Amino acid sequence: MTEGAGGEANPEAARTWGRWFGRPGRSLTRRLIWLASAWIVIALALTGWMLTSQYQESALRRLGNMLADTIDEVVIATNATPESVTVAAIPDAKTDRALSGEYWAVAELDSEDGLRFIAGSPSLAGEQLAVPRDLPRRLRAATGTTISYNDPGFLHPPLRQPLRVAASLKSLPGRAEPLVFMAAIDRTNIENDTRQFATFTWTALLILGLGLVIAVFLQVQIGLRPLFSLRNEIADVRKGKAARIARSYPMEIQPLAEQVNRLLDHNQETVERQRTHVGNLAHALKTPLSVMLAEAGSQKGALPDMVRKQTEVMKAQVDHHLRRARAAARAQLLGERTPIAEVLDEMAVMLERVFEEKSVEIDWRAPDDLGFRGERQDLQEILGNLMENACKWARRRVRVTAGPTGLGQMVVVVEDDGPGLPADQREAALERGARMDETTPGSGLGLSIVVELTRAYGGRITLADSDLGGLKVLLELPAAEA
Amino acid sequence: MRVLLVEDDVDLSRQLKLALGDAGYAVDHAADGEEAHFLGDTEPYDVVVLDLGLPKIDGVSVLERWRRDGKTTPVLILTARGAWSDKVSGFDAGADDYLTKPFHTEELLARLRALLRRSAGIASATLSCGGLRLDPRAARATVSGEPLRLTSLEYRLLHYLMMHQGRVISRTELVEHLYDQDFDRDSNTIEVFVGRLRKKIGPDRIETVRGLGYRLTPLAGESDGT
Repeated sequence: MTEGAGGEANPEAARTWGRWFGRPGRSLTRRLIWLASAWIVIALALTGWMLTSQYQESALRRLGNMLADTIDEVVIATNATPESVTVAAIPDAKTDRALSGEYWAVAELDSEDGLRFIAGSPSLAGEQLAVPRDLPRRLRAATGTTISYNDPGFLHPPLRQPLRVAASLKSLPGRAEPLVFMAAIDRTNIENDTRQFATFTWTALLILGLGLVIAVFLQVQIGLRPLFSLRNEIADVRKGKAARIARSYPMEIQPLAEQVNRLLDHNQETVERQRTHVGNLAHALKTPLSVMLAEAGSQKGALPDMVRKQTEVMKAQVDHHLRRARAAARAQLLGERTPIAEVLDEMAVMLERVFEEKSVEIDWRAPDDLGFRGERQDLQEILGNLMENACKWARRRVRVTAGPTGLGQMVVVVEDDGPGLPADQREAALERGARMDETTPGSGLGLSIVVELTRAYGGRITLADSDLGGLKVLLELPAAEA
Repeated sequence: MRVLLVEDDVDLSRQLKLALGDAGYAVDHAADGEEAHFLGDTEPYDVVVLDLGLPKIDGVSVLERWRRDGKTTPVLILTARGAWSDKVSGFDAGADDYLTKPFHTEELLARLRALLRRSAGIASATLSCGGLRLDPRAARATVSGEPLRLTSLEYRLLHYLMMHQGRVISRTELVEHLYDQDFDRDSNTIEVFVGRLRKKIGPDRIETVRGLGYRLTPLAGESDGT
């Protein structure tokens, strides 16, 4: 189906775009997918955050343990007297090697809340550990506990080493003043590990998230497929490709399908009832009118003349209004498809019989699969009147051709080889309906009902010259897709 | 000329009886479907005027019964329901002409005269091919006794094929006989008409002889003249 192709750039693509990215409230698919996606994103983000922070914490705890060990070793190696503090060599090669990445220092608190370093590991190579300004105060507040902090890196390039530092205020026997023991370790490796872990975790979660969103998408698509298929079936009914909803659906939407069918039935029933009423009224009025016409026709005088004339008017009015009501009632009917070839055939056979004396020849052409989107009776009414009109005026030949014009439309052309109609009278002929065929016997109104029905179906009717010599009626009507 | 008038409305019947009598017809009147069927079945009428809305049996059913029994009397139907679908069902039942109520008496008389002219001298030599029969004078064809509804172009094609049954006839030859003037002489149109004929008379009676044309033959096991 290429509905409106050419008009809008690409309506299908626009609709798909709108379905996914428009306001969520307007689409079930969108609503389900957005909701599930939001949950997935939140849950995964939380998981990722917990995993990485847990990993980082355990890494720091490991570092802390190492630092505590170093502090203990330094404390053991420290010999403090009120006058001096000496630290013996620690049997650990790493703090002895310059800039090895592991350090220790011993300091004491001075009177102005500052630190004065007393001793340091050989690895410090003369440098000092950086001390945050509030460290002495915090140490004093919590004697015996260990305070850890990150140092952005005390060493100069190229050996910039971000450090993890631990400091602890301890009182040693033999010295009244407590000493500050500090240990530091390079956190480059740990930080690299943490970063690597975070990258890995987030990548894995992202892949998982994408996988889940795709799964949700597929699930929604598959889950809602019956809805889409129902929508297509309803569209088919509207286009005249089908008369009812035929497929069976999951129990959640089967009632909906049944209700749609019931609605279609109800529609059909209403139209049928209306038509019956209309037919009954026509029947009831027409026989008395016949009697009046015949009675008045058999007598001479002013009264019979008047009765005859008024009866004609009544007859025209009855026909006009009944057909109008019928046309209005029918054009709303959905789901009808009438093969045009069948109707053309029955009309041709019948009209050739009726106009046998004139030996009118009706040559009709229509593709077998061309259908009219509407009621059979209406198509009969339209084509019957047009073809009968053509037969009345034709000398010998009537030609009817029907073909699709695309975009759900078709065109039917009815031509004859009669006298035709001058261009300036055509408009009036269509406007007033078909008063012009009064000169040939038979009831008038043929063209007016054609015009009314055609309009009710949203079609169009045009008059032109035929190359057969007579009138050419072009009729545009809605076509049903095959 | 004897005419059977079938009409249930008393006033209309009276008027029509008078008018038909004045026009020189011998008129019998039936006011319901049963009576109409009986009269039409037993009396040799030249023409019938049949109202469709009748008590007891409706007009279409009466007509169908007559046609099933082989009555070929021309029938003009009177119908108050002017819809084309009603006219079509009347024709399917075997009507020869229709007139929508209300109508002028003069028009009814003119239509009856035309019907009588057409039906004059119907008995004539018919062509047959298996269950197919074609009456060239009346321009009517039947298959297994059922009347065929043919357009004049289809009829002409069938007529030509029946006159030359058993022989392969080329498309060009058929085109020349189908159209009297030099109109639409496209041999593809023959395929269209052969296709339509096959739909109406059965797919196997017209055989396509590849590259040569078409041939009409009776169906296997079908005896001639049924």
